[in-house]
Amino acid sequence: MTLVEFVDFSFKYLEADSLALKHINLKIDPGEYIVVTGPSGCGKTTLCRAINGLVPHFHRGYVGGHVYVDSKDTRNSEVAELATIAGLVFQDPSNQLVTLNVEKEIAFGPENLAVEPKEIRFRVEDLICRLKLEPLRDKHPHEMSGGEQQRVAMAATLALRPKILVADEPTSNLDPQSAQLILDLIADLNRQGMTVLLVEHRLDLVSNEASRLILMDKGSIVADGAPRDVLVQDLCQEIGVGIPKATQVYKQLKRRGVTLGRVPLTGKELAALVKEARQA
Amino acid sequence: MSFLEIFQYTRKDSIIHRLDPRSKMLFSVAAAAASLMFLNIIPLLIAFLCLIPIIAAAKSMKRWLRSMKGLSVLLVFIMVFNTLLSPVPNPFSHSVALTIRLVALMTSFSIFFLTVHPDQLSQALIQMHIKFEFAFAMSMAMRYVPTLAQEAYSIMDAQKARGVELDKGNPIRRIRNIIPIIVPLIIVSIRRALSIAESMESRGFGACEKRTYMDRLSFHKGDWVVMSVSIVVLVLVVYVRLFVALPEWMLWSLPL
Ligand SMILES: Nc1ncnc2c1ncn2[C@@H]1O[C@H](COP(=O)(O)OP(=O)(O)OP(=O)(O)O)[C@@H](O)[C@H]1O
Ligand SMILES: [Mg+2]
Repeated sequence: MTLVEFVDFSFKYLEADSLALKHINLKIDPGEYIVVTGPSGCGKTTLCRAINGLVPHFHRGYVGGHVYVDSKDTRNSEVAELATIAGLVFQDPSNQLVTLNVEKEIAFGPENLAVEPKEIRFRVEDLICRLKLEPLRDKHPHEMSGGEQQRVAMAATLALRPKILVADEPTSNLDPQSAQLILDLIADLNRQGMTVLLVEHRLDLVSNEASRLILMDKGSIVADGAPRDVLVQDLCQEIGVGIPKATQVYKQLKRRGVTLGRVPLTGKELAALVKEARQA
Repeated sequence: MSFLEIFQYTRKDSIIHRLDPRSKMLFSVAAAAASLMFLNIIPLLIAFLCLIPIIAAAKSMKRWLRSMKGLSVLLVFIMVFNTLLSPVPNPFSHSVALTIRLVALMTSFSIFFLTVHPDQLSQALIQMHIKFEFAFAMSMAMRYVPTLAQEAYSIMDAQKARGVELDKGNPIRRIRNIIPIIVPLIIVSIRRALSIAESMESRGFGACEKRTYMDRLSFHKGDWVVMSVSIVVLVLVVYVRLFVALPEWMLWSLPL
């Protein structure tokens, strides 16, 4: 069964003069790990907002087409109702932490939706354990690093038990090490069965884990498929998307007449392919 | 400003910390009332001395002493001025009494603020039927004050780097120089507020009329004891003040 479905969805913000999303058609199945990328202003954030109803309920504007989340039309569902299906993690972690400690933060969402106190306590302890937040338990958000804050924000989102985790550039404010930690955590969650949609620019860090890569430009989806198939297209360079080093090398070799057996995504893969080619 | 530390929560594991904020609130009010009822050195000193063991029980003696040290200059200043300007017959004695009263008042409220986490305070307010939105706004203010302060500093640095001189010139000029700090700060804060609202919205803020709370405060044996003692003290102090003449030794004052 499809978890999220965009049917010819278009959106224009009230104050904007052009469409932020143009005729989007997109199906997301349970268990997928989708990475979305594209140049600045191409509509990635708007796409994320459309999945949990922030567009059009929080950000008003003109809507065309439909988005169905777990068979519910987002036009007729409240954000709070959609929150238990699609959990959003945003770019700036400090704006997502609104309470004074980790326990309260994780409990905030379920409390708002009137979940039983005992059940909330269970979820809090479970997430503190799974996301390794024990050392942060008593810290004020201001005393945490960006990476720690983002981990807490992720736990707070997961506390609503969403079926799909939508993360909008969760690592762009972080140092490379913390970014890697967050990406590892997302990959882990996906392996445990969580459907993931991740907006990310550093494709070298995520292409290998992702099951699908979506390229956006000027409000439209311009490529959608397995990461290898998308990254090998020249379109990527044309719209200014940075592709992994290994894939770049593959393409340069190909231009000079050397075709490797497969499109590599990581250095390790590239090395193996080169070895293979030499032996052959 | 180090004396403000006695109004700042410190995480400790003590009998006082474990008490319910509501019973501590009543206790602080009773203690404050006790020191407000009298203006003689002896009764004030008794009220004040009763508070010291409680500070000790809250494991906060060091912090309290440090704050008092920070406060001492101000206290001496108050005492000198009061003595010089007061029209009463024994001005020095009167000033000493006033100073003790001030210290006792601060101490009684510090017992509350030292040992109540802001989260507990807002939970207590909610359970005293203050609206959740109001209590939450208060705790959010505490959450974002350091963040905004940091933002203000970085804007100040950025503007200084661009040649804005913040601490030069006459007062009017200085005020004008604040504008390049205030305007970006307001813009940044509005943008931040929107983004916070968006994140809260997507976590169901305000969705249910009857929201639940993971932890509710509840009264234990100690709280009932503290409540009863506070009420007895309150009643006793008011009664004595209104209907009983204090014995001679309690009215003792310094000769000056
Ligand atoms: N709240 C808003 N009001 C009006 N216009 C908006 C709003 N948010 C985004 N837009 C506009 O919609 C378009 C798509 O923006 P969006 O934020 O979705 O892009 P993005 O791909 O996330 O960009 P970035 O990589 O910079 O985050 C842009 O032209 C942007 O200016
Ligand atoms: Mg964006």
